[in-house]
Amino acid sequence: MNVAAQSELRPAPTLSAQWAPALAAACALVLLAATAEIVLDGSLAHSVLIPKSPQIAGWLTTPFGGGALGERLGFRVFLIAVLAFSAGYGGLALLARSVSKRWAIALIAALHAIIFVGPILLSTDVFSYIAYARMGVEHGLNPYTHGPISITHDPIYHYVGQDWKKVDTAYGPLYTLISYPFGLLGVTGALWGMKALAMLASAGTLALTWRCARLRQMDPVKALLLVGANPLYVIYTLGGAHNDLLMMLLMMVAVALTFAGRDASAAATVVAGALVKATVAALLPFMILARRSRAQVLGALGALALGAAIAYAVFGVDGVNIVAALNRDAAFVSSDSFATEIAHLFGKPGVFPIDHDLLKAMLVLIVAHLLWRTWRGYDWVAASGWALLAISVTSTWLLAWYILWPLPLAVIARDRRLLAATLAVQGLFVFHQLTPLFAPVS
Amino acid sequence: MSTSQTSAQGWERLPPRLRPREVEPPSSGRLWRFEVAVLLLVGLLLAIASVNDVVLKTHTNHRLVADLRTWRSYTGNDYKNVSAEQDLKHHTTTDVVCGNTTPGPPKERIQLCLQMTGPTVHGYRAARGGWYLPPKSENLRRYRYGCFGPAKQQGACTR
Repeated sequence: MNVAAQSELRPAPTLSAQWAPALAAACALVLLAATAEIVLDGSLAHSVLIPKSPQIAGWLTTPFGGGALGERLGFRVFLIAVLAFSAGYGGLALLARSVSKRWAIALIAALHAIIFVGPILLSTDVFSYIAYARMGVEHGLNPYTHGPISITHDPIYHYVGQDWKKVDTAYGPLYTLISYPFGLLGVTGALWGMKALAMLASAGTLALTWRCARLRQMDPVKALLLVGANPLYVIYTLGGAHNDLLMMLLMMVAVALTFAGRDASAAATVVAGALVKATVAALLPFMILARRSRAQVLGALGALALGAAIAYAVFGVDGVNIVAALNRDAAFVSSDSFATEIAHLFGKPGVFPIDHDLLKAMLVLIVAHLLWRTWRGYDWVAASGWALLAISVTSTWLLAWYILWPLPLAVIARDRRLLAATLAVQGLFVFHQLTPLFAPVS
Repeated sequence: MSTSQTSAQGWERLPPRLRPREVEPPSSGRLWRFEVAVLLLVGLLLAIASVNDVVLKTHTNHRLVADLRTWRSYTGNDYKNVSAEQDLKHHTTTDVVCGNTTPGPPKERIQLCLQMTGPTVHGYRAARGGWYLPPKSENLRRYRYGCFGPAKQQGACTR
């Protein structure tokens, strides 16, 4: 068929359809520019937003050997970049149909590459991961019974966040074992290793999100963009090389295995995810209620028994007792949590122990309702996503990467309300960060 | 009811309303609307709480800016590294601002701390009292000396 004949058969494109690819390209450029701005300014020196770190990205500030480019990253530049990124993300989400598969993958690969070469952004968590690994392999200490304060003479100690120096690891034994080889690489080598691990976990998560969206006959490009170009995903989570990405990878492996009918492997993978970070265990009851297969229960129990045995052999009883670490962390309070905001709204100075109990009771009610809905035919992927969203919203210790947990599930869930709710909660979180933009302190 | 909608194998003992299903029953429209209403209410509460918190924090930041400006004005030192502490224990608007008395790295010289109280007027607050801190010391009662103003009557110093 020649071009003239094709144009006769196709309806004439509307004005908005003609402009859509150009607008989508503009949104993509905004995302790239905002990320590059944060990374370049962040490379200059540590600041209130860039934790002290071994110098891994200094070459970015003087790429041509001349004077330094940009200025030390402060709240104003950072928040404007985050707002621009969020606006570009919103535009891309709306225009996703006009973005080709190739361009979507290229954009996300470019965002990952920029973040990879840059400094650690916004969080000292990665230095805690390395400290726990070095405690195990270099100093023969159990990270489930000792905090980084036990290795004050180790070069990593100075980079660990002040609040976490006395704290034992709260991460699962599988993650601790995965991190141990990085402890042998020296501080800078371990940092690059952790960054590479985060990138690989992210690539796996995004590939599986794509695959699951296709299996559910949803637009895979839109699913990919909604997760991989999300501001909290790129700047906060990838930027900090958080182990939540590894947890999310195992979560999506479990979802893909369930879609493929491999129930035992799927349940075992959820347990493996929970041995990285316990939160992902929230998927298991929904998966079991939806599939009602004996293989799932056996797979989960087998993985749990194996994981517990290895954890006990390597770390002793403290490595198995993840519940104790969870209870300790559940008592923490952050100023960004919705619980704290609601307390302030009602004139209270903060969250009290009774509020913790009320929030836990609320979470139990929500999960019970979701379990009943799943039993009666509701999409288990959506129910799992709602459960993860409820955990983050009712948590008194809320960090940006916690409200990312439900996102890969939200983009493939049959209930579109989950995606709207997840993005709305993320939007409120970003809005709550904006105070220094309205009233900078200097 | 078709087998595609229910999966009651092994669950026949349960009444039909309690049996597991593969797809949701058509009567779940009312439940869906109820859930949407609850979600909207929760969303509204979270949105109001977030806006309220940003407004509160903005007011606090304006107050801290006035505190820092007042300290610099009183001492005549335009230092960048001046620390401000809020009264997180009693939740009053009395803040304490500390900075070096002579040029040097933060907290490496004798520090002068001023208690700021009252409303912000033309970008400044009233400094009602204060104390000194030796070099390399945190603002803890055991290190304070030379209290003046209300801080002296309050027993803010040990020396």
